[in-house]
Formats: sequence, C-alpha cells, structure tokens
Amino acid sequence: MKYMSNTKWLFLMMMAPVFGWAQQSQSAGSTYFSNALFNTLMVVIIMLLILVIVLSNSIRNIIQSDYFKERYKKMREMQSGKNLMVLFLVLFASQVQAQTAVAADSRIGGLDQFTFYFLLSIILLEVIVVILLFNILRTYTKNELSVVMQPDAQAAPAKPERTIMDVFNASVEIEKEEEIMLDHDYDGIKELDNNLPPWWKYGFYLTILVGVVYLIHYHVTGTGDLQVAEYNKEVAKAKLEVEEFMRTSANNVDETSVKYLTASTDLDAGSKIFVANCVACHGKAGEGNTVGPNLTDNYWLHGGSIVDIFKTVKYGWPDKGMKSWKEDFSPMQIAQVASYIKSLVGSNPPNAKAAQGDLFNEGAAPAPADSTQTGATTAPADSLQKK
Amino acid sequence: MELQKFSYDNKIVKQFAYATMLWGLVGMLVGLIAALQLFIPALNFDLPYTSFGRLRPIHTNAVIFAFVGNGIFMGVYYSLQRLLKARMFSDFLSAIHFWGWQLIIVLAALSLALGYTTGKEYAELEWPIDILITLIWVVFGWNMFGTIIRRRERHLYVAIWFYIATLVTVAMLHIVNSIEIPVSLTKSYSWYAGVQDALVQWWYGHNAVAFFLTTPYLGLMYYFIPKAANRPVYSYRLSIIHFWALIFLYIWAGPHHLLYTSVPDWAQSLGVVFSVMLIAPSWGGMINGLLTLRGVWDKVREDIVLKFMVVAVTAYGMATFEGPMLSLKSVNAIAHFTDWIVAHVHVGALGWNGFLTFGILYYLIPKMFNTRLYSNKLANLHFWIGTLGILLYAVPMYWAGFMQSSMWKDFTPEGQLKWQFLDTVTKMIPFYAARAVGGTLYLTGVIIMTYNLIKTVKMGSFTANEETEAMALSGEYHSHAKDHWHRWIERKPIQFMIVSLVVVAIGGVIEFVPAFLVKSNIPTISSVKPYTPLELEGRDIYVREGCYTCHSQMIRPFRSETARYGEYSKAGEFVYDHPFQWGSKRTGPDLAREGGKYPDSWHYNHMLEPNSMSPGSIMPTYSWLLDDDFQASGIGAKIRAMQTLGVPYPEGYDKIAEADMMKQAEQIAASLKKDGIETDAQKEIVAVIAYLQRLGKDIKNADQTLTTK
Repeated sequence: MKYMSNTKWLFLMMMAPVFGWAQQSQSAGSTYFSNALFNTLMVVIIMLLILVIVLSNSIRNIIQSDYFKERYKKMREMQSGKNLMVLFLVLFASQVQAQTAVAADSRIGGLDQFTFYFLLSIILLEVIVVILLFNILRTYTKNELSVVMQPDAQAAPAKPERTIMDVFNASVEIEKEEEIMLDHDYDGIKELDNNLPPWWKYGFYLTILVGVVYLIHYHVTGTGDLQVAEYNKEVAKAKLEVEEFMRTSANNVDETSVKYLTASTDLDAGSKIFVANCVACHGKAGEGNTVGPNLTDNYWLHGGSIVDIFKTVKYGWPDKGMKSWKEDFSPMQIAQVASYIKSLVGSNPPNAKAAQGDLFNEGAAPAPADSTQTGATTAPADSLQKK
Repeated sequence: MELQKFSYDNKIVKQFAYATMLWGLVGMLVGLIAALQLFIPALNFDLPYTSFGRLRPIHTNAVIFAFVGNGIFMGVYYSLQRLLKARMFSDFLSAIHFWGWQLIIVLAALSLALGYTTGKEYAELEWPIDILITLIWVVFGWNMFGTIIRRRERHLYVAIWFYIATLVTVAMLHIVNSIEIPVSLTKSYSWYAGVQDALVQWWYGHNAVAFFLTTPYLGLMYYFIPKAANRPVYSYRLSIIHFWALIFLYIWAGPHHLLYTSVPDWAQSLGVVFSVMLIAPSWGGMINGLLTLRGVWDKVREDIVLKFMVVAVTAYGMATFEGPMLSLKSVNAIAHFTDWIVAHVHVGALGWNGFLTFGILYYLIPKMFNTRLYSNKLANLHFWIGTLGILLYAVPMYWAGFMQSSMWKDFTPEGQLKWQFLDTVTKMIPFYAARAVGGTLYLTGVIIMTYNLIKTVKMGSFTANEETEAMALSGEYHSHAKDHWHRWIERKPIQFMIVSLVVVAIGGVIEFVPAFLVKSNIPTISSVKPYTPLELEGRDIYVREGCYTCHSQMIRPFRSETARYGEYSKAGEFVYDHPFQWGSKRTGPDLAREGGKYPDSWHYNHMLEPNSMSPGSIMPTYSWLLDDDFQASGIGAKIRAMQTLGVPYPEGYDKIAEADMMKQAEQIAASLKKDGIETDAQKEIVAVIAYLQRLGKDIKNADQTLTTK
C-alpha cells in the first residue's frame, strides 16, 4: 500500500536527524547522556515517536478494514500526500533554522544551542505529526459512525461502532465477540482471544531494545560512564565552577588571610551560625557543657588566635569530636563564626566549664609544635575526602 | 463421566475474610501511629516497644503478611475451589493453614515489639518463625495441589497460573533469604554479608512485592473482575504472554533498589534494564483487567465492587509504570532514600492491594451470607474517603521527597552544602502531618467498611458448605485440533509448577553466582577489620532498635553525599556485616562514617534526648539504653557464630572476647567520665557508642590510597 510506504518515509525522515546527531557527537556522546535536559528531551522524543507509531498503526487498521479500503482509498492518498508535503516543509525549515544557530556558543541547560534546538524541533515536528494523525483518525472514526447513522448509506450491513479505544487496541467489536470467544468456561468465566494491543506489543519490543542498547552503551562499548567515572566528573566539574566563582568573589578567605572581624554585621552573622550549630556542644553562651569545652575563658585546646580558631572550625579535630565544617559553611562564614567565638572571650557566662588547654597570649607566636601537628593531621584527611 | 455432587468450603474463606479485616485495621492503625511519630516524637512514649524503629517493621509485616496475606488466602480459597470445581483437598490442612498463619502473625507482632529482628526489611522475623512460615507455606501448597489434582476441570485458568507461580516463588525467596545462623532462640546472623546480603535481600524484597503483593492479586483480579462484571476476559493470548514475561522478568529487577551503591555496576545495570522491560508485562495485567470491562462501564459507575477494582487496577498500572521510572539512574539519584519511595509503595499498597481486597470483601461477604450489602451508601462513602485518603497520602509525600532530595543536593556557589541535614528534616514536618491526614482518612474508610460488613453478616445466613455438582473428569483427554499450544501445560499442574520454578530461578541464579564467586566484584580492603566484641554487641542493639528504618549506611557516589558524609562507600567495607545495614530510607542522616564525628558524650546525650544535641530533631529518645545492661556473657557464642560465617577472629578468641569487651567498655566509660558523665561500663549505651564510633573508621584511618579507579 502506498500509505505504508509513506509512513515509512515519515519515520526515516524523523530518524534522520537523530542519526545525524549520533554521528556528530560520537566522541561527546557520554557527556550528552549525562545531561538531564538532553535525557528529558530524548525521552519526550521517544514517547512521541511511540505515539506516532501507535496512531499510524491504528489508522492502518481502519484503512485495512474491508469497508474503508474501497471508499477512502483515493481520497486518503490525496489527503495524506498533502499532509506529508507540509511535514517535509516543516522538517526542512526547522533543519535550516537549527543549522543557522550553530555559530552561537552560549548554552541552554548545559546543552549547546545546536543540539537543543535540534531536539526541540524534532519534538515540535512530532507534535505536529501526532496532531495530524489524530485528526485523520478522528475523521475516520467519525465517518464510520456517520455511515452507521445514515440508513441509506451504500447498502452496507449495519456497521458496529468502533471507538478510538478499540482502534488503538485493535480489539474486535463487542458485537462480533462471538467470533473470538474461546470454548473456555471456568466457573462461568469465558475468555476472548483479542489481539495483543499493538501499542502494548511494540512498546514491549521497544523496552527490550532499550534494555539491549543500555547494556551495550554501558558495558560493551563503554560509552556510558559507570558510577565512579560519573562521580569523578561531577566532582571535577564542581571544583572548576567553585574555583571560577571564588576567583571573582570577596568570599575568598583561608587560614593564611583570615582576620579577626569586628564589624557588628560580621559578629551578628557569626552569632547566628553559632546559635544554630554550636550551642549543642558548647552551650548557649559558649560556656561549654558535657560535650564541648568552654569558649569564653582564654584557655584553648587548639590555639586561641583567629587563625587557630578558623582552622579548628574549618578542619575540625575529628579525634576529639569536633567535626569539620568546611562543607557546611563558606570560608567567610567560618571567619565570621570564628570571630564571634573570639569575641566571647572574657564574657564570663554562668555555669562555665573548667578551663582546658593552654592560656593563650595574643602577643606570643603560636607554639611551633602545635602548628606542625595541625598541618600534619588535617592535610591527609582533607585529601582523602576530596578523592 | 458421571455427575458428582460435592460442596465448596466457605467456612475457611469466611475465616480468612475476618482475619483480613482484623489485621487490616491493626496494621493500618500501627502505620498511622508510626506516621504520627514522625512529627510528634512524644508518641514514641519513651518505651522500647513503641518506638518508631520497632513499630515500622510491625506495620510493614502486618499489612503485607497479615492483611494482604490473609486477603490472598481468602481469595484463593474461594476462587480455587470454583475454578477447579472441587472442594479444598483437606479441611484439616485448611484449618492448620489458617490457625498456623494467625499464630505466625501474633508471634511476629510480639517478637518485633520485643526487638527480636534479623534486621532485613520485610524479612525481619527470627529463625524459629521463619521455620514456622516455611511449614505453613508447605501446608498451603499441599492443600492447593491436592485440590488441583482432584479437580473436575481439565485446564487451569489463568488465575491459577498466578497462584502456582506465587506458591513456588515465595517459597524460594523465603528460604534463600532467610538462611541464617542461630545464636540463640531469638537471635541469628544472616548467612550473607555486605554486598551479597544486600543483593539477596533486595532480590527477596523486590520479589516479595512481585510475588506476594502482585502475582496472587493478579490471580484474584482474573477471577473477581470477570465474575463481578459478568464479562469474558479480554484476551487469552495477552494472559499467556504477560504471565510468563512477568514472572521471568520480575526476578531480575531487585538490584534497582541498590543503584549507586557498592553493588557491582553490572548488577545495577541488570536491575535497570529488567525494570524497564517490566513495564509492558505489568501493564498487560492492567489492560486485560480494564478491557474486560469493555461494554459495562455504565455498570462500573453503579457497582461498588467494580468501582473499587477499577481504582485498584489503575493504581497498579500507575505504580508499575512509576517503578521502572524510579529504576532509571537519573531518577533514582533523586528519589532513593526519600519519601518519594514511601509514596510509590503506598500507591501500590493502598490502591492496588487495599482496594482490590475491599472489592473482593464487598463481593464475597454478601454472597456467602446469601444477602445484599447492608449499605451501599456507606460503601460509596468508603470508596470516596479511601480514594481521597490515597491522594492526600501520596501527593505530600511525592512533593516532600522531591523537596528533601533537592535540599540534600543543594550547594552554594562557594561550594558548601546549602542545608544542614536537620534543616531538611524540619522542612518535612508539614508534609508528614498532611500524610497522616491521608492515612487517617483511609483508615476511617476501612472502619466504615468493617461496620458495613458486620451489619451485612448479621443480616444474612451463612452457607458453610455450598452444595454444587460437576462432571468428573474422564481419564483420557482428546485435544481439539485447533487447541492453542499453551493448553498443554494448562492440563499439567506439576509440569506447570516445575516450569514456572525454572523460569523464576534463572534471574536470581545469574545475578548471584558471579556476585558470590567472582572476587573482583568485592575488592578487599586490607584495613577493614572485624568488629570488636563490644562493637558487635552494639551493632546487635542497633539492629534490635531498628535504626536502619531511618538511617542508611551507604554513602552514594555523589558530590552532595561525599561532601556531607565523607568518602563514598566501598564494597570491601561491608565484608563483616551480617546482616548488611544499608537501609532504604534517610529520615535521619547517613551513618556510614559516623565514627569519630562527635565525642562519646555527644552520643550519650543524644540518645538520652536527641533534641539537646540536634535541636528540632524528630528522633525518639532511647533512654533505656542508658539503664539496661548488655549481655557480656553471650558474646562467646556470637563470636563463634561469626567464625562459622568466615569472620577471621583468631582461633579461641571466643574465650577471651568477654574480657576484651569489658576492657573497651571501661575505656568508653572513662572517656564519658572525663566529660562529666558517670555511667556503668556494662550499660547498653556503651556498646552502642562503641559501634557508632567505629562506623567508617577502617578506611578513614587507612594510609593506603583508595582505589577510585
């Protein structure tokens, strides 16, 4: 049938851009698949494609039913010919459009513009096809109905009603059920032998195909990133982004550049962080409790200079139960909370815990033994986490 | 051929029906309490027996094995007799089955409340109950096959195919997953460890959903929908294809519960692709059910039984589409460990299992009591209130799950996590409350149904033995020339059973054998050492209290997780974990690298009053850990059991383990004392602290570079 060849054409046309894209991006294939937008668009494309297949199958089913074969043959050829012409035009138009967009290098949702518009135009195209097919289908089922309604129509025997659902599922009409009734009878339950709904059957094939392609993608050709590779890429990418951001940000403080911040805005910000995160172990006023040491006296377990406090908060002392907060707060925030803690010294809150550690003397240089130890224990822990 | 007179046994059906209603009410009530506990922690009552960690397994076991279990048996005992034109094989076996199953339920509820648990989800029951389950299941199978052998119907109807598949597969799953080594009457260790235990457990867990919550209910659907609608089944061909495809494919999909974990990549990929392939076979059942109603949709609007069943089948379709979607890695990365999964499960449980059961009850009770339903109005009210309940349950949980996951993954531009874990918990409170409203509505519906059915029972008169007659089967079968090829196996129940067992065994064998035999699947890490006796004891308490119901121990390879919890988990870290404790839900934070994060005193205060250390926490208090002594004398037996399982404690270590244990306990007591906390070294809290402080330490301390490929 001519119609069939037309549909095949249509599918080829629709697939062509996909193949074209696949060839283009062979080297970059894995990055595309790790892009959420790309995956979403692909899923939409595939879903619509299934819908197109189902609809055209349904139409074929109607066309092939004896009655319509005769009546609509000529008319349909003309009509769908026109439809297809429109599709061709749309397709080419969109391709041209997409190609002109290649030059720009700004990205949309992590996809280059070319790919994005390419996929978008495929979706648009598919939507148009679906609408057209659906219209054709509706016209046919409606005509079928009107034939039934008109008593003087072409002397055809009363044609049973076929709903769109029946057509979708390729079901036998309820009135004709006897023809496919099996001789099974279980406690009065009888069984029909309807066709497998085509959309279900082809959907099943499609999922199997997806399964095979998936396994090949990840485990045979190795084009897909398995989880560790994916993770390493994610971390590397984030590291670059953060570095890029920090280069331009005023937020960039570390233990070599941290200063005691005395501005009230900074101390307020530090106080907020302290109340939300530190009071459980160090008490509401920093007086210390059964867990953490008193922060209001001038005795320190790990040094009382702003640099020492900054480092203690940033890297923690995991062996003594102080966790590292560097993944929780920005360097500036850590500087703020460290400054707030330093501002607490000498506040003499009630119920203060007994002093622990060494008396800190602002003027004196930090004990050399202590500082080397800090460097030695925090550095490996840090690198371990990053790996 | 002679016409034989016999009767159907309705009494056993009635018993199972009553049990279904009773346990349904109990199981859902416990679920509601657990839901309330999540935003009103005081409802844990500061008692071990009613704390969330123990109630949650009681809830899941009660609704799965007590409510749905009795529902299965109710429907099977009713339909099997009629589909085979034979009375149940033995009334005695039926009675043993019924009372045995109720005994198991009671023992389960008691033992779980007392903290006797294996710590494997949906398989928490300890070994003596496991054995009892096996025996009762054999009685069920014996009774079922006895009836099949004595049938007066040549061919087995599709419902019975599903019953047979259920019978053999549940037996296989239960036995393989429950292999454990007993330490005492109430304590055992899983035979498998770590990654292997996880694979076996989720092969079981996933297929418990498949073969306890799905296949038997599909069988029931195939009987009760055509009966209630008085319509022929839509497509015999579809039945055949979707049945075999479903049971074959389902078994493979277990690893989709373990995506982005330490399970080998190939196993994860199998889990993904088989889940995707499952869409069509699952939907085959839905289509066949819904299209059977072709031509009687006007009746569906009137008939309460059909109404419930249509919603049930639709919920089934939604859940079985959502499942494969959740198995896609990109979706799973968001949804796993969140309440999204809880919503997904409850669409299946409340919609599919619940509503189908209600439909069957509304159909069966009036029929067996020769009367009409007491009140259609009440039944309609139940229908609407139940549907609304499902929506109000599911929607907030979907929303909340997605929201919490997004918060977990949020980074500031400076590269810090945007939210503390606790921030994400406090944001959940309104959603937990909304969910509880949905649950309350649903439970209210069930109470209305129970009232309605009790009234119906009072109106009618029960026929215990329903008289009927049928032709005996003649010895020889002369097949029709045009018989479908599948008719052959429908005449051969034993062959049917064997073939279905082979079909369901394939997936498991292919996934397990390499995971157990190929060394490279679980690379060893030399710094990972067995637990000390005190840590082992602490771990047992961790399992006993059901900590795994809220805390995972599996850091997935995502930037957001390694930033929050530390290096992602490696397969080699879990080789001494009998059972594994990866968990499936993060109501609280992951604990895989909890060791050393906080001082001992923090944990002590936190167990006594979680809010003191984590303001706003919804964790219940565990004050009894501070009061109760651990059993130091029992440690020798535990060490010996571990040695049997291949954990390399030195020869004769069981003799000195107790001394080692007390030495470590004294150290922890001393460290607590330094922070001003006086405690006896013998208290359970000391063992728990020892365990928590060990978590994840092995590779933290390791000098070696980690294999990150």
